[in-house]
Amino acid sequence: MKDATKSKGTLSVASPAEVTLKLTNISKYFSSVPALLDVSTEFFAGEVHAILGENGAGKSTLMNIISGTFQPTQGEIVFQGQAVPQMTPEKAKSLGIAISFQHPAILDDLSVLENVQVALPRTVFTGTSVREDVRAMLDAVGLNVSLHMRADGLTVAQKHLLEIAKALAIKPKILILDEPTASLDQDATDMLFGRIREVVKAGTSVIYITHRLAELRQIAHRVTVLRDGKYRGTGMVNDFSNNDLLALIVGRQLGSTFPPKSPVHSSDVLFSAKSISGKGFKDVSFEATRGQIIGVAGVAGNGQPELMKVLAGLNPFQGAIALAGKPLSRSDLQSKTAFMPSDRHSEGLAAGLTVRENAAFAALGKFASKGIMSRQKEHALVNEAFKSLAVKAPGMEAPILSLSGGNQQKVVMARALLSEPGLIVADEPTQGVDVGARAEIYRILREVSSTGTPVIVNSSDAAELEGLCDKVIVMSRGRVVETLVGADISEARIIAAAVHATTHASENSSQATPKEKPQNWRNWLQSDNAPAVPLALVTILLGLYVQLQNSNFLTSYNIYNILLLATALGFIALGQTVALLLAGIDLSVGPLAGFLVVIASFFINDDKSGAIIFAGFVLMFGAALVVGAINGLLIRFANFTPIAATLAMYIGIQGMSFLLRDSPGGYISATVTDWINWQMGPIPVAFAVLVAVALVAEYVLRKTRKGWELRATGSEEEGARRIGVRINRTFVYGYIASALFTACGAIMLMTQIGVGDPRQGINYTLSSITAVVLGGTSLRGGRGTFIGTLLGAVLITEVLNAVAFLGFTQTYQYLFQGALIVVSALIYLTVRNRALE
Amino acid sequence: MNQAATSTPDVFAQRSFFATPLARSFVTVVVCTLALLVACLIFAPSAVSWGAFSGSLPFAAIIAIVGLGQLLVVQQGGFDLSLPGAVSLAVVTATHEAHQNNGLLFYAVFLSIGFALAAGIANGILIAYFRLNAIIATIGMNALLYAGVFAVCGGTPSITTTLLADIAGGETWRIPNAVLFALAALVLVSFILKKTVVGRRFEAVGANPFAAQATGLRVQTHQLMAYVFAQLLYCMAGILIAGITREPTAFQGDSLLLPSVAVVVLGGTSLLGGRGFPISTVIAAFFLNQLSQFALAIGVPYSAQTIIQALALGFGISVYSIKWTVNLTKKNQTNGGLHE
Repeated sequence: MKDATKSKGTLSVASPAEVTLKLTNISKYFSSVPALLDVSTEFFAGEVHAILGENGAGKSTLMNIISGTFQPTQGEIVFQGQAVPQMTPEKAKSLGIAISFQHPAILDDLSVLENVQVALPRTVFTGTSVREDVRAMLDAVGLNVSLHMRADGLTVAQKHLLEIAKALAIKPKILILDEPTASLDQDATDMLFGRIREVVKAGTSVIYITHRLAELRQIAHRVTVLRDGKYRGTGMVNDFSNNDLLALIVGRQLGSTFPPKSPVHSSDVLFSAKSISGKGFKDVSFEATRGQIIGVAGVAGNGQPELMKVLAGLNPFQGAIALAGKPLSRSDLQSKTAFMPSDRHSEGLAAGLTVRENAAFAALGKFASKGIMSRQKEHALVNEAFKSLAVKAPGMEAPILSLSGGNQQKVVMARALLSEPGLIVADEPTQGVDVGARAEIYRILREVSSTGTPVIVNSSDAAELEGLCDKVIVMSRGRVVETLVGADISEARIIAAAVHATTHASENSSQATPKEKPQNWRNWLQSDNAPAVPLALVTILLGLYVQLQNSNFLTSYNIYNILLLATALGFIALGQTVALLLAGIDLSVGPLAGFLVVIASFFINDDKSGAIIFAGFVLMFGAALVVGAINGLLIRFANFTPIAATLAMYIGIQGMSFLLRDSPGGYISATVTDWINWQMGPIPVAFAVLVAVALVAEYVLRKTRKGWELRATGSEEEGARRIGVRINRTFVYGYIASALFTACGAIMLMTQIGVGDPRQGINYTLSSITAVVLGGTSLRGGRGTFIGTLLGAVLITEVLNAVAFLGFTQTYQYLFQGALIVVSALIYLTVRNRALE
Repeated sequence: MNQAATSTPDVFAQRSFFATPLARSFVTVVVCTLALLVACLIFAPSAVSWGAFSGSLPFAAIIAIVGLGQLLVVQQGGFDLSLPGAVSLAVVTATHEAHQNNGLLFYAVFLSIGFALAAGIANGILIAYFRLNAIIATIGMNALLYAGVFAVCGGTPSITTTLLADIAGGETWRIPNAVLFALAALVLVSFILKKTVVGRRFEAVGANPFAAQATGLRVQTHQLMAYVFAQLLYCMAGILIAGITREPTAFQGDSLLLPSVAVVVLGGTSLLGGRGFPISTVIAAFFLNQLSQFALAIGVPYSAQTIIQALALGFGISVYSIKWTVNLTKKNQTNGGLHE
């Protein structure tokens, strides 16, 4: 098609193959910080093209641009000769670009099968049954797990395999694999390479991101090296020696100066970790003598952040950690360590607090006498700390986020120093920090270290460790692969140790394939619908018990009454279920139901014609639609939290009800009421309709794309976005659905109240939440069941009714209701926690 | 606002008042309230007469007190739906257990404080330690508290003792005592939050539980305390209602839940937790109350008053949500107090 020999840089290689993707002058800025600068390269059909570079070189950014997750600031993407003006995840998918993310876009609340189905277009499933198709996809990557298992039970390695299986399944023209082997063991890696060779033979262009030279030699034909977001060169792998490649990767210009290293070689060990293990790493040992700064190096995601968390006392560990000869427990670490987390925004800073408050909160006791704060003392000490760290801020009372990244980090350091820690653990201390502030941070760390406080720094920047540290441990796949001391510490040595490492994830962490058979009932027990059986049992047993006490309970008259009441609550609770599945909440359902009854009271009367009555029903649903849409739009586009949006709506709708009727009035047509309350034996027909609606809703939730998208969005918004779900639309439709279900409930409520009363309906907000929670839907989103909600509504109504039949007072009505919700919530919580163990 | 950010090494001398979030919410609420009062003076002078104030202020005071309680819970990223039950229980305990006998009043008050402590600790344990979702736990607790209400009063209203009516309904230096109680609660909450080690830690835990945990603060204890102190404030409001209202019903607390959240939000506190603004919350309670008085005085029906309140609430949220856009991430949302 095109002349494919036009590679940039010093290296250029001819190739006869077809160009599938061509990137021209791609740049990407994140709030004026360049992540990619002017990168151009071409990818050929039938080749594995590796992208090589250090952490932060821009590899993942480039892949996110190709797959449409990010929009480039500048540059052009040409796919098979056609320029693509705006790449989106959906567009990429339709072009046949598949990506397996470094952090798999697997939604924990969905089953393995649903994860595959929601991410792939329907056209992929061509076989006799979807299940067989998916089974075949999983077999192709050697993933042997139950299709109905919830994804949160998968190991990290299994999630990676599932992610790769999804990418392979669409038989892509371009397959992007972002560090696919990071968590895989040797067998799984071999299997994966086999698959890659197959798809390449079939003409796919594979883009393979890695840090590991050994892997590169095994699998890649061509390689492009990035450094600091800049293009460094492209060529055939065989034309490069390892040293050539290393030379392209390393050599970053840091531009900041380092303080001199520790001159003393004291032998007294200040801090020691002896074969400590924890989540994500194993058997790590190192010690620090007085004045030493310890560096932790390695390719990102090889256990370093987890090690930092353990040292900060945030994660449990096995092994022995000692400070100045005294062994430390986890809680000792938590109070002794000053931790500077890498994710400043979510773990380091309290965004709502001021600069002063952020600096002070670890050391408040120092500024106080007898528990009362001294403003003077606080200001003086914080000011002093800020001066010594040269913090630049618009003022002590400025919001912390108004500071630059470097100054924010200095505030975190000020907090650490003010708390007079026994140990400083800094995770990526210079990430997002400008050059000038970096030098300051290095200086401060060195000063602290020389006064006898051990400092441990994790950094993905090898040059930084070279300049700063007196000892560096290099980690790979959770183990220490090299310890460098003194003059041996160099960027090249550190990177070489990390990229040459051939260790694979240990057996137990990777392909632990649980036996499938005995898992089946467990999978069911953890499924969303598991609560249905105990709920139904409790409902029946309670009915029988009350019947023994009072033989009027299970008469067809009373059963009819209970079910009729449960129908109104049931419909409204179905609506609430949708909101909760989206990890939101809809407080407006109660007043909305009341408001719709008020509307009905103007139209659905005995003296009105059929047409007007019909118009009344249409208006009810129309009003519900508007209310739901406003809720959804406020939440998605006006940045309201679901509670705030639906609370404002709650009050507003109540006002609307009073606006239409300030006192009860407008009797609902008896004929319509009779029709709606039509009875077949002890069963109200309306209840049968409710059951049918709940079953259909359940089907939609489990078996259709809309349902998977709803749950995916509630489960993890970001993950759902990456697999191409339209989040905003899902939210708005979800809240509309909630309001429409509420309208159905309002029709039932209308026949029960019989008159337009602006004070009615409000209680349904809380009772609908109660019914949904009782039914087993989680307020965290992503997990829930309409059938459970239905049963929850029936059970609540039954309990309230039974209390009267047992001759109990109102006290017990409330007591049972309260106990029911607390106990059931605790049970569901326990089951869920067990499942995760 | 930001020109100071550039150079000077010691910039703390020149403090930029309007840059602080405290100032922003405070200024918003105060400006709105003053504008409302001016509107009252022009269009409805009767709404700002001494008589109108002394009649309506006790109710504003009660909203302010429950608002302060809700504030503490919201600061920890929670949400307290047990407020109606808590207030109602305090009301019926203060009326029924005193049996219109001044001598039994203190017993009744202590009993309601005991109930409040028990409910607060139970909420706190369920939410902070068992990590139950705050909404679920407090819905359940609300029902349990109402069970208590009916156990105490059996559903029939009773009148209070003359002593309590004097204390809660009386006036000191022509100021309704309820207002003095609200001011005392405000001073206490503000002092503890802003001036004591415990309070400052409390705010830090609410603002970012992860950062707080990483520095060794006891996150769960502070979260538990929020629910306990909230219950004590609800209890105070309930006892005042018992004294002010002639014959309080068993559901006296129901109408307070929404206003309590509304004043917290109008006061500028984020429903995602973090920094709390007690003074702004109390002013917001006065504002909402005065808004109703104003509407009443110019002859707006009750319905429209409610709509105006909803609009005020929506307006308040949008004003403050501009600030949120900077750092509002899903992470904050799921990792705050709203866990399950």
